Amino acid sequence: MVAGLALGGLGLLGGALAARHPRGWLAATLTGQGALGLTALAVLGGGGSWADPGAGAWSSPCGHLRLDVLSAFFLLLVAGVGGAATVYAREYWSEREHPVSAVAGRVWWNLFLAAMGLVLLAAHGIVLLVGWELFALSGYFLITLNRTPRAVRSAGWLYLAASHAGTLCLFGFFAALAARTGSWALGPLHDRPELAPLFWLALLGFGLKAGLFPLHVWLPSAHANAPSHVSAMLSGVALKMGIYGLVRFSGWLPTPPAAGWVVAGLGGVSAVLGVAFALGQHDLKRLLAYHSVENIGIILMGLGFGLLAAAHGPAGWGPLALAGGLLHVWNHGLFKALLFLGAGSVLHATGTREMSRLGGLWTRMPWTTALFALGAAAISGLPPLNGFVSEWLVYLGLFDAAAARGPAAALAIPTAILLAITGALALACFVKVCGVVFLGAARTPAAERAHECGPAMRGAMLALAAACVAIGLGAAGLWPVLARVVAAWNPAWPPGETPASLKALTAAHVVVALAAVAAAAGLARKLRRAGVRRAVTWDCGYAAPSPRMQYTAASFAGILTEWFAWILHPHRHEEKPEGVLPRRARWSVHTPETVLEEVIEPVGRGFLWAAAQVRKLQHGRVQAYVLYLLLGVAALAVLALWSWTG
Amino acid sequence: MTGLLNVLVGVVMGLNLVALAGGRLPLLIRTVAVQGVLLGLMPLILEHESPDWKLAAVAVATVAGKGLLIPSLLLRALRVARIDREVEPLLGFVPSLLLGALGTLAAVVLTEFLPLRAEHAATLLVPGALASVLTGFILLAGRVKALSQVCGYLVLENGIYLFGLLLLGSTPLLVESGILLDVTVGVFVIGIIVDRIQRTFDSLDTRRLTVLRE
Repeated sequence: MVAGLALGGLGLLGGALAARHPRGWLAATLTGQGALGLTALAVLGGGGSWADPGAGAWSSPCGHLRLDVLSAFFLLLVAGVGGAATVYAREYWSEREHPVSAVAGRVWWNLFLAAMGLVLLAAHGIVLLVGWELFALSGYFLITLNRTPRAVRSAGWLYLAASHAGTLCLFGFFAALAARTGSWALGPLHDRPELAPLFWLALLGFGLKAGLFPLHVWLPSAHANAPSHVSAMLSGVALKMGIYGLVRFSGWLPTPPAAGWVVAGLGGVSAVLGVAFALGQHDLKRLLAYHSVENIGIILMGLGFGLLAAAHGPAGWGPLALAGGLLHVWNHGLFKALLFLGAGSVLHATGTREMSRLGGLWTRMPWTTALFALGAAAISGLPPLNGFVSEWLVYLGLFDAAAARGPAAALAIPTAILLAITGALALACFVKVCGVVFLGAARTPAAERAHECGPAMRGAMLALAAACVAIGLGAAGLWPVLARVVAAWNPAWPPGETPASLKALTAAHVVVALAAVAAAAGLARKLRRAGVRRAVTWDCGYAAPSPRMQYTAASFAGILTEWFAWILHPHRHEEKPEGVLPRRARWSVHTPETVLEEVIEPVGRGFLWAAAQVRKLQHGRVQAYVLYLLLGVAALAVLALWSWTG
Repeated sequence: MTGLLNVLVGVVMGLNLVALAGGRLPLLIRTVAVQGVLLGLMPLILEHESPDWKLAAVAVATVAGKGLLIPSLLLRALRVARIDREVEPLLGFVPSLLLGALGTLAAVVLTEFLPLRAEHAATLLVPGALASVLTGFILLAGRVKALSQVCGYLVLENGIYLFGLLLLGSTPLLVESGILLDVTVGVFVIGIIVDRIQRTFDSLDTRRLTVLRE
């Protein structure tokens, strides 16, 4: 165990030192991540004793580091997705294309991975805070690797500001915890009910990192403007550090009674509004970023119902909902990384993220198209892929909660409806993405000249896609792992048998997958036999179709974004056709960063204004300073007199 | 002898108003000098029944320092630095005077509410001290030239000295001399600053110091 972690750390360190030599960097970093991943696997396996969630856990002699089932669960995600993204980065952010930042990018990358590992291993408040700060700072430098565009710099600043607001909350959280327990050591503290209110600080601090609505303001611009392998890591893995913090400390510390309700409620809001905002986006990566908000919402639904079940005594649905949320952590990490890497290869090939400038890429980029479509199907929660498995577990928990008729039933039914709405909207959104970006005809010369990405990028995406399929088809096999993590979270829920519905789902998935393969093979044979005749799309009556006559990203989602106009506040620019023979007409719609522009920025401006007013007090006139002194003394005198008479 | 002491304190309070109303720097400096001499005499009056050499030393040092040394230094600075003799008020003379008078009244009224010992309540020492501190502040805040601010600082210090007289019996000589030393050092520091301002800005107008802010 120690050897694995040490090798992991050394690999990441060695990779950072060898950043000037791409091959050496790749080999060392992958070795380190492999070692970390294997260590995590060993802990998750627990030496074969599935029933004991404590088996296989490791603690450093000083007690500042600890690797238990829950940390290992997240560490495996870091190592797995991190490994794939590392291979991708080798080709995507190479010296040839980014001579200035390629080496720096590799150093920050390794630091980023190592810091996340440290956060996951920490069992000491200060160690965790140090790891957290390193993780946030290296994230900032990764986002701003290409500093030339103004948008990248401002996205970086926004990320840094939000990150530090969160860190401030965490400083408060750990300091208050240490003050009340008398030690910085972290561990289970269930017998101290007075610690429960600290949960709200943790929710704010970790929630800012996780990007739940409405704390997501930094997320879209940071994910959209970062290099794509960094976006994949940020969205797939870094957000999960916030989730890790929430799961970890809601498991270790007592929680206030309202925690489950609030977390589940925030999850529902994040899920639906995240996908609603995603529908309004025209920027491919910004759209994917909003889907992160949505998926974090689904994870929080699971966690929220886990908390509710833990608070309301023995409930069979608690483990199901929590296991669903946790599995969604892995799943979202896998398919969101796959989608961002796919978006990266589109960006790499065409130089634009604007969906209305793409189109028809599938003929030139068949691998990217196929893998992106697989990721899209997975994130939309379509069987037989992994997204459906975790959402299914959450659904099972919700339905059981509703059937149990406890106090949580009142929330379970609306949450299930919200989850269903989210799934439907996500599907619509990814139909839009795939349709506009990959199908149809190319809208610009850049899209026409697109080329397929190289083997390293393709290989990384293939690995992630394979993991998505594997989880979808082998869901029942994962249950023991999930059950152990759930049992580590709440010792009152010992690992039980695999639920029958999960077994049935796995079998159904295999059948559906086989049927899909058979149908695809049959269709391909039929196509080959019948021969393909190529013609212009819509070649029925109109002789001069142009690529502009396709659905755009805005028009495809028009109806859906209208439903959510009450919160999206879209900016519409309209010039209606007039007269019998209209000459000119245009229509465009753009969804702003509503929460940022209409809430955070006005508040920030007010704050800056107030600060500027206070600043006027410092003008350099000595006489007035003496007056301040006099007023201060007078105020003190009044205070003293008042307290003396009162 | 309380009567004589009260008369002296009354004169000091009157001099405060003169300092506020005076339009020329030499007048201001001399007012402060007279105030210093009066203050120097007060310990002798307070403890006239049991005079000792320490008390005499304090009185002599105060008169010499506040009444002669510092004013002569200031007058010399006025001469050497060729400073214009106008006071240049930031706050007009009439408003300063009104504020000072109001402050003196308020000091008298406020003293009624303070929990004083009987022997202190009979004298004007406490209202005199409060009024002087307030006058010092008005001078500091309401005048432009650095030299007039030195005077404001001296008046303020005089107020603190008056407070100190309340504790004359129980304050060791060391504290007395400490206060005096404080004043002298303060005046020297301001003297050096005045010199620097003069050299750097070619003027003693403290308003020009605003360029020094960040």
